[in-house]
This record gives sequence, C-alpha cells and structure tokens, in this order.
Amino acid sequence: MVEKRRIIYTSRPWEATGLCSGCRLCEFWCSMHNMGVFNPLRARIRVLEMGTGIDIPVTCQQCQDPACQAACAYEAIYSDAKLNIVRVDPDRCTACGECVGACPFGIITLDPVTNVAMKCELCGGDEPACVTVCPSKVLGALTNEQVSEYNRRRYAALLAYDDETHRYKPGGEEPILKKLER
Amino acid sequence: MTKNSYAGKILRVDLTSGAIKIEPFGPEYIDRFIGGRGVASKVLYDEVPPEVEPFDPENRLIFSPGALHGTASPAASRTTVAAKSPLTGMHGDGHSGANWGGELKRAGYDLLIIQGQADKPVYLFIHDDHVELRDASGLRGLLTSQTHARLRDLTGIPDLRTVSIGPAGENRVRLAGVFHDGSDEGVSARCGLGAVMGAKNLKAIATRGTRDIGVADQQAFRAAYQEYLDVIAVDPYVPPATKYGTCRFMFHRVKFGIHGAENWRYGEYPWETLSPEIFRADYQVKAGACVACPVRCRRDYRIRSGPYAGITAKLEWETIARSLTCGITDPEAVIAWSNLCNHYGLDIEGTGDTVAFAMECFEHGLITEKDTDGLVLRFGDPHAFLELTRRIALRQGDLANILAEGTRRAAQQIGQGSERFAMNVKGGEMTAGDPRGMPVRAVSYATSTRGSDHLRSNPYIEEICTAEEALQWFGSEEAADLRGGVKGKGRMLKFSEDLVTIGDILGLCKFAYYRSATLPYLYRKGVTIATKLYNACAGRHLSEEEMLLAGERTFNVEKAFNTRCGATRADDIIPERFFTEPLRGGGPSGGMVVERDKFEQILNEYYEARRFDVQTGLPTRAGLERLGLGDIAHDLATRGKLVG
Repeated sequence: MVEKRRIIYTSRPWEATGLCSGCRLCEFWCSMHNMGVFNPLRARIRVLEMGTGIDIPVTCQQCQDPACQAACAYEAIYSDAKLNIVRVDPDRCTACGECVGACPFGIITLDPVTNVAMKCELCGGDEPACVTVCPSKVLGALTNEQVSEYNRRRYAALLAYDDETHRYKPGGEEPILKKLER
Repeated sequence: MTKNSYAGKILRVDLTSGAIKIEPFGPEYIDRFIGGRGVASKVLYDEVPPEVEPFDPENRLIFSPGALHGTASPAASRTTVAAKSPLTGMHGDGHSGANWGGELKRAGYDLLIIQGQADKPVYLFIHDDHVELRDASGLRGLLTSQTHARLRDLTGIPDLRTVSIGPAGENRVRLAGVFHDGSDEGVSARCGLGAVMGAKNLKAIATRGTRDIGVADQQAFRAAYQEYLDVIAVDPYVPPATKYGTCRFMFHRVKFGIHGAENWRYGEYPWETLSPEIFRADYQVKAGACVACPVRCRRDYRIRSGPYAGITAKLEWETIARSLTCGITDPEAVIAWSNLCNHYGLDIEGTGDTVAFAMECFEHGLITEKDTDGLVLRFGDPHAFLELTRRIALRQGDLANILAEGTRRAAQQIGQGSERFAMNVKGGEMTAGDPRGMPVRAVSYATSTRGSDHLRSNPYIEEICTAEEALQWFGSEEAADLRGGVKGKGRMLKFSEDLVTIGDILGLCKFAYYRSATLPYLYRKGVTIATKLYNACAGRHLSEEEMLLAGERTFNVEKAFNTRCGATRADDIIPERFFTEPLRGGGPSGGMVVERDKFEQILNEYYEARRFDVQTGLPTRAGLERLGLGDIAHDLATRGKLVG
C-alpha cells in the first residue's frame, strides 16, 4: 500500500508570498482536472475568505476513520487499497447527503451538476493539480511524517516569534516578561 | 459537445418597467468585439444617443466581464463597467479585478445591460436563471462593505458575489465608483459610474452562478498557460511586482521626479515615508492575488497601532500618488484614506484631485474657513484630507456638495480663476505621474477616450524599447527617446493604446500582460499568448493582427461615441498648468514643461496613425470602414461628424 498523503495548507507566514494569495488557481485547475471545466463549485479544494487579506484553502484530510464513510449507508465511500485514498464510487452514490453533514471539516459536498458526492481524491494518484499550480507554493500533498515536520516548524516559529518579541535589548526598554516578574 | 468559454446569453434589465429579458449573446458581438470593453463600448454606442444625459433613465449601465474571465487564463480577472459618464459627458468605463465578473458568467450571462430607473431603491438578484429585482430600502446608506455582508445574510448564500455602491454613489457624487465584492476587492472607480448606478436607484447586484465555463481546446489552453508561466519566470519586470505590489511605482516616480505633488505642482517631494519598503515591512498583510493571477501584486495593508489602529484596507499605487497630490506623506493616513474611499464608495483618483483642487483654492484664498466650516484645507494635513473626503461622499455642507461634482464643475461654480487649479482632461481627473518632460505621456493623457488616463495606453513602451525596435516598430529611433523624441511617438501611442485595449477586451490584467522589461516580452505576453489563450478558450482562430485590430476597433468605437457627443481635437488637451508652469521642486524633471510644439507634433502623427482627420480630430470614413465599422461611419455621417 502506498503511503497515505493529504493536501495540507502549508503556509509560511513569515514570508509575504508564503500565505495563500487568494488567486484560486487551485480551484480552477481542480475542477478542470476532475470535471474538464472551470467551476469553483465543482472543485474539491475551496478557498475561503476569512477577512480582508485572509484566504484559507481547505480540502479533504483523508481521515483514517472517515466520518463520511461511516455515514454512508450505500457503501459509496471507500478506501482505495492500492492508492490509500478515500474515494467516492459514483455508481453507488444516491446523493442522500448524509456524508455532507457528517464531515467535521465541511469538505465533502454534492457536485451541483452531477449530483454525486465529491471530495479530493488526490488526482487519482497523479501529482495533484492544486499543488502544481499554486504560485505561492503553499499546498503540499504530505505524508504523515511530512505533516508532522511542518507542524513542528510552525510551532517552533511561534516560539521563536515570542522569543524575538521579548528579546532583551542592551540599553533598551526592559522586556515585557521581566516587567511582569516584578 | 465541448463547450467554450462563452456563457451565451445577455441579461437585460429595465428598472423602469421591471422587465427582465434574456437575449442570445452571439456573433454580432463576438465576431468584432469579443468581450469585455469591446462589447461594452459597442453597446454604449448603439444604445445611448448623444441627447441622453448621464443621469437620464435612458443611460445604460453595462457590465461586461472580459472574455476570459471565469477561465484559468492567468490574471483573467477583469470586468468592464460602462456608461455615459457624469464627469465627462462622454464615454465612461471602469475595470476591476474581482470575482464578480466570473460569477456573472457562471450564472449564464456574458453581458448585463441595465437601463431605466427604479422608482425606489432596488437590488438585482441573479442566481442562474432566477433573476429578480428586490427592495433595497434596508440597504440604503450602507457602506460598500456592509452592503456586501448584508446581501450575503439576506440571500443565505455565504459566498455570494456582489457589486454595490456606497453612500457616495447613492448621493450621485460624480466621483463615486462601482465596487465589486465589498470594499476591498475591486473597484470600477473612474468616470462617475457609481453615480449612474445611484441615479438609477440600483444599490447592488447580488450574483450567484453555478454553471461550468468550458474550454474549447484544453490542450492548446494548457500550452498557452505554460508559455505564460515560462515568460514571467524570466521577465525581470515580475519579481518586484510580486515583492512590492503596485507600491513599486514609487521607484518610477522618484526616478523621473514626476510625483504630481500638491495639485500637480511639484515633481520632487519628500516621498521617503511612503517608500515601498515601508509599506512592505510595516503594513503589508501578504502578497495577494486577483482571480487566477500568479503575479500576486495586489495588497491589503493593516495598521496595528497609532491613531488609525485597526484599519485594514486594500490599497494600490494610485492611492499613494493621489495622497502626494494632496501633500500627504504619512503612510497611515494614506491607508486610512483608502479605507474611507473604499467603504464610502469613492474613486481615489478623482477624489484625490478634487481635494487637492480645494486645497489649492484655499491656499489662494478662493475658499476660506467660512466656506469649510472651520476646516483648514492645508496640503499635507491628514485631518483635512480625510474629513473633506468624508464630507464629499455624503455631500455634507455647501462646499462638499460643490466638490462632489468633480473638479471641472466645481471650478465653474467657484469661479475666481479656480479653473486653472482644476486638473482634469475632458472632465476626468488626472492620474499617474506628471507629464512634464515626457512628451508622449502628455499626449496619452489627452487622447484617452475616458478622460485623463494612463491605463488607456502604455507610454512605458518608450522606456523599454531599444532604438532599433523604435525604428522597426514606429518608424523612428526617436520613439525610444523619452525626453526629446517626437517622431514615431504618435505611432507608438496608437500601438500601445490598441495593445492594452486587448487586455480590457479579454479581461486580462495590464500588470500581468502589458508591463514588461522588454518589448519582445511585452508583445509575447500581451498579444501572442493572449491570443492563444482566447482562441483555446473560445474555439476561434484569430491571428495576432486580428486581435490587435479588435483593440483598435474598440478604441475607435469609443472615439466615435465621444465625437458624437461633440468632442473634437480641442478636447484632446491637458491642463494649461503643464504647458505654462515649470515643474517645481527640482529633480530629474525639475523646471520642465510640456512643450506645446512637441505635443502638437505628436498629436498630429497620432491622428494620422489612427486615420483621424488631423485638423479636427474627427474619425474618417476610410478609417472606420477599414475596421469594419461601416455602421458607425454611417451614423456619424448622418450627424455631420465624419470626415470623408
């Protein structure tokens, strides 16, 4: 079995081009790769506007124990044994929508044109289109180990930022933490 | 069956009768005009005769997404909005890089034509085939941001796309813009389009589209897409764009000393506090992008401390430029002003020039504290800058009410010689950098079909083309001589105008296609690749020459519209200040003026290249017929406005 991967938004907030720019090229090329058309509503990765200048791409986390699969009474959602990807069988899907309500990340939806459940299937094992086209390179198809590495760096960056903010400056103002100690 | 990138329908809404009509979008528009600004200009010509005034119900408000909007063509994010302009009384349009245009196409419409006037405030709701006018009394007075948010609530569609006007548009401020997707995504700002929308009592257009947009030839599309990426990977123009956003144009203005500071009097000015480095280091949120754009040069700026703490605003170069026109050098005041204009629904170009006009009038005592209710309109004073802008948006007080009419009308009302401080061309306020010492730039502001505008052309070609290229393309090496050249400049101006018009037709961003470090890269992106993308998406086979002709044709339609409104060569002129007052402040262009004889010579050559009558500036029959505009030639002839 191939090692499991999932598309993760691996932003690098310390870089200006390390945040999702909001270009939505991932959405365009996802719908083109999977459905042969341009339609963000038929993309399996979606970019959400969370405020002025805050864009966050979200997609399927390829759960080990998928809530969507558990919710499906028709066995239309399964784990592809060879590719290690959670997939939808369009022939079994009845568009009941139970999977849509079950996903804790709000990822799986019904395709508005075919009325079949759709979710990221990692481009069927090819190099994922969204990862390839992202101009800021903030999407990655990561293994568990790679996700862990990324999370570790983010956590360390948070601590580093904190250290830098409170760093002692010779001859300068007292660092905040020292003030608090008194 | 393979679909192409056209949606196939026109949506026509009559606000007077409430009638909603769907018409086919077919060869009569696609063949000659393709999409975007091409189609918008033709509709405007066909449907708004010269006797219709901008605020009359019979004026049209036209929304025409670029032909490639909704596809993944890089930076195909732009939509044209057009109407007869309340500022110029002639052709008016604005463009905007935002999601809304693609949403309209996904709803099934390549073109939206609004006519008439509602008897009470309404908004247009479009959800695929479901189109209806709805009561907008609950939206009255709302900011653009609030309108966008409220519509999302009202319709229950969380990612609804909208177009709206703010209080400025509702108040028919002639400096009001049309805002796409709230306050901080994109604006069709120029020409007073927001006032037209306000005059029609149309507060907003809420749009949801769920349909596919197809590509006729996917392989050819992928190839053209990759070719574009390959070019921008090596074009030296691009990295600073990604790094600084449009702030980077500060370097250009400093290089030539052409700030236009204090109402276009100073070329050199204390600019350092507005440096791109400061915006980038202290306020930038991230490298943002318009739809489908890999260049990522749009910017939001956030203020975290100080008197304007908490403000986040989208801001582009011209906002900084017009702030300098008002003498403002505090970056936080600039961001706060952008925020104000975005939410109240104002064009920063026109508003900046209008506030600067008021400041200069105040300096000369033509306006006093009595007129301003105690507000001291001094250049460089952030309080005056912001407060006067706010009053203009709301028409609060007699002076603001006059200024809300734009510099030309305000000067007429204020009189006392204030006309010499009104910096506009054909009524449309000045943009970009000072033209003194740059002969063809001066002419380019004059020949733009929508009032003063640097985006109607790309006078920067003279900064990137070599002497050999100038000779080959424009007939004289002089065309590459920025300061002294005259021969070839007119032909270069025509070429650059046609070139960027292609961008507006297809919905391609000028920064992504029509700016470059070399002329070959420019042509490759802006003509070659643009044509390939269009052909692949639309399933057509235009040659590059035919694409350039489409640009030229569109420009001529606008010229014909203006001619029909009474424009002549006399209107292709820039403010007298540029001819008679040497640029102050020293620097690379210090002491220079626009030399009248050079101006006239370049204009002559331009008219010849355009096949306009050199004496009158009117279009010629031969020129229009060559472009397949025989119908327009006929119409102009019946009105006595055609030569030949």
